[in-house]
Amino acid sequence: MSAPRNRRLITGVLTLTTALLASACSGTGGGTSGQADDGTITFMTQLFGTAPNPQGELHQAVEKFLGKKIRVTWVPNADYQEKVNVTLASDNIPDVMVVDPKAPAFGKAAAAGAFWDLTEKIKNYPNLVGDPKILLNSSINGKVYGPYRVRPQLRSAVMIRKDWLEKVGLEAPKTTDDLYEIAKAFTEKDPDGNGKKDTYGLIIPKWPGVSFAASSPFNAIDVWFGAPNNWGKRDGKMVPEFDTPEFFEANRFMKKMIDEGLVNPDWNTLDTAKWNDPFVQGKGGIIIDVDVRTTQLLDLLKEQDPKTYGDKVLTVGNLARPDGKKFSLPFSGYKDILAVSKQRVRTEAQLDELLKTLDKMASKEGQILLTNGIEGRNFKVENGQAVLINQDDPKVKQLQDDVDKAFIQLGTQASTGTTGIAYERVPPEEPYRKDLAERKERVAEDLKTAVWDPSLPVISETAVAKGATLNPIVTDARVKYLAGQITEEQLKAEIKRWYDGGGTQIAQEINDLVSKLGQ
Amino acid sequence: MATDLASPPVRAAKAPRREPGRAARALWRYRWLYLMLIPGLAYFLVFKYVPMRGLQIAFQDFVPFLGYNGSEWVGFKHFVDLFTGPDFNRLMYNTLFLALLNIVFVFPAPIIVALMLNELRINIVKRSVQSLIYIPHFLSWTIVASLTYILFSVDYGVLAGWVHEFLGGTKVDYVAQPEWFRPIIILQTLWKTTGWTTIIYLAALAGVNQDLYEAARMDGAGRLRQLWHVTLPAIRPTIVVMAILMSGNLLDMSFEQIWLMTNNLNRSTADVFDTFVYYVGINQGAFSYATAVGLFKGVAGVLLIFGSNWLAKRLGQNGLF
Repeated sequence: MSAPRNRRLITGVLTLTTALLASACSGTGGGTSGQADDGTITFMTQLFGTAPNPQGELHQAVEKFLGKKIRVTWVPNADYQEKVNVTLASDNIPDVMVVDPKAPAFGKAAAAGAFWDLTEKIKNYPNLVGDPKILLNSSINGKVYGPYRVRPQLRSAVMIRKDWLEKVGLEAPKTTDDLYEIAKAFTEKDPDGNGKKDTYGLIIPKWPGVSFAASSPFNAIDVWFGAPNNWGKRDGKMVPEFDTPEFFEANRFMKKMIDEGLVNPDWNTLDTAKWNDPFVQGKGGIIIDVDVRTTQLLDLLKEQDPKTYGDKVLTVGNLARPDGKKFSLPFSGYKDILAVSKQRVRTEAQLDELLKTLDKMASKEGQILLTNGIEGRNFKVENGQAVLINQDDPKVKQLQDDVDKAFIQLGTQASTGTTGIAYERVPPEEPYRKDLAERKERVAEDLKTAVWDPSLPVISETAVAKGATLNPIVTDARVKYLAGQITEEQLKAEIKRWYDGGGTQIAQEINDLVSKLGQ
Repeated sequence: MATDLASPPVRAAKAPRREPGRAARALWRYRWLYLMLIPGLAYFLVFKYVPMRGLQIAFQDFVPFLGYNGSEWVGFKHFVDLFTGPDFNRLMYNTLFLALLNIVFVFPAPIIVALMLNELRINIVKRSVQSLIYIPHFLSWTIVASLTYILFSVDYGVLAGWVHEFLGGTKVDYVAQPEWFRPIIILQTLWKTTGWTTIIYLAALAGVNQDLYEAARMDGAGRLRQLWHVTLPAIRPTIVVMAILMSGNLLDMSFEQIWLMTNNLNRSTADVFDTFVYYVGINQGAFSYATAVGLFKGVAGVLLIFGSNWLAKRLGQNGLF
């Protein structure tokens, strides 16, 4: 080997290493600039299937309608909140990001000025404002950071195995006492008729996350017994759901059911994704959840037996407490907002341009495109309702999937579970149609007794700062109480620990903020 | 920890006397070795040292939008919060308890298994057992956790069902009881890692001079005596190095494993520093606080590794460095 050759080799290797080093370093920072100027609008939202092809029919149609190029980062729903937090920490925030406005990381970023405050501006865009009350709910202490994605205002319901109910000879429940009777009969009276005592009444999955207000079956039962929905006014002051006598009443009711074996034994560990399984497999007979779960149950039961599936699910609304008084658990009316990042939308002019596009997207025509699809391709309109067509054509099927599993997530005034300003979809078969019709009546009825959460628009600073420590306290204590690991006195002691650890301050802040908003 | 492994070659560069001419000549003579060192150094520089820049956010109220330079400096606020907060004692206790169980049960297990395998006469049995026990190493924690739930679920768990049949009494919800959390974690770790770590000890055992056994037999040593006086002393350096390496990892619980096995009922025993950092940092978005917790854990890990290395040397063993 001659010396010059060696030297050349070494130089080569060194250059290569340096290049690697340089590229690795810039990997964290580069790659954002230079994209903003071609007029492409970038989005980030949830995905429930496979990501649509940007060359696909629907993507192209949306771009044509908006007159803008769009690029969407589709993130699988299960990882969404994590991905949002990681994205917020990067310098690659998309122009329009679908975010939970109440997530601490978003709140901090917004307070630091990472997103446009649209409180005043949004009023100029009629399609984006929506319902003022829901808009306020989706705000941070009154500050609006983007149009909300509409959801039904009331979704809680009870789903019951109809065939079992007939077998044990009971009526549809009206009160929590009825619910108890049914659960008991489902457990003890052999509703599946196999001669074995191998069934239970209520199916409860493991608690989702650590926040107390989780719209879980437990929260629903709290409200039915008259406790506040998350926060509520008692004697002129805001108190949390768990600091009321009704909360303990509700817990005693649930503990009784659990102690008597009327609930699935693995209610602490059952994965939420497997919630339907015991119902469909005939192990349990009652689910308390959002009403759209009925559709999932019908789908699964149909796979089992396409003839009788319609006779297996009975859905009823919120239940009255033993004394006959009824309180219903409503929802916030929205799920996430479309926040506009300041990272790339820098000037007011750019912002106005973008909002104009979003306003167009939120128009009736735009919402139909996002949530129904392309008229004449995958659906037709009959009596003002959308009927699916051409579903056997693989291209149309692809289009339909792109609507249902992806683009519908960008809908603001029409969305999953809510027709809004788009066309209502006619369900394919009779049981589904019946369910839809009943749902409308039920929701209208239950909304009359809805217990609203006045704290929805506000965020307490202490709750954000100490959330990691405070959130699990009462949540875990309640589950432990229900599992029989601690007594009611100890549960009360844990609630006191929550107050002492910062809960007192949270309550004070919520009080102040809510009265400031004049709620 | 891994950085410490890399340090011996770096020190080797300093080894020759400090004469400029000689150092340069040595550098030239071993140029290919040094060249081969570059990618390794680059790796540590890029992936281990450069990211340390981010540690500064532990002393800031970091908001990503404002960046490192724009965020407010708060000094040791997050550390004070951590040490005085209600979580610290619980996290420390849980982490140390699991670490202790790891030392007592997980650490000796592969040594014992390796010694037992070493005593086996029939080669084919030895090899197949060896292969069988290291298969779990290739399964991810997600699968191990799912298997655990399937086997121990109070509703449909097969193993839990058998135990119930044999012992009677009330059904125990193993996966949701705080007192069962640690046994389950240790059992999972044993099942998953023992076989794989055994390989290292078997390699050490293969290097033991066979003449020593013969000599011991001549002196009338039985099998146990041979094990005690020949085998164990021969693999002692390996055991010591493994012990020191482990001590640096003591506070690193396997995050995935613990996260997957945590639920509302067992959180009191399940929460460790790693899961807390994840929850606070990624879920709650409190990046600064999470970094402070992580930094504390890292510093404690470094201290532990130096401490155990010092201890090993005091006890007359070869340390790691």
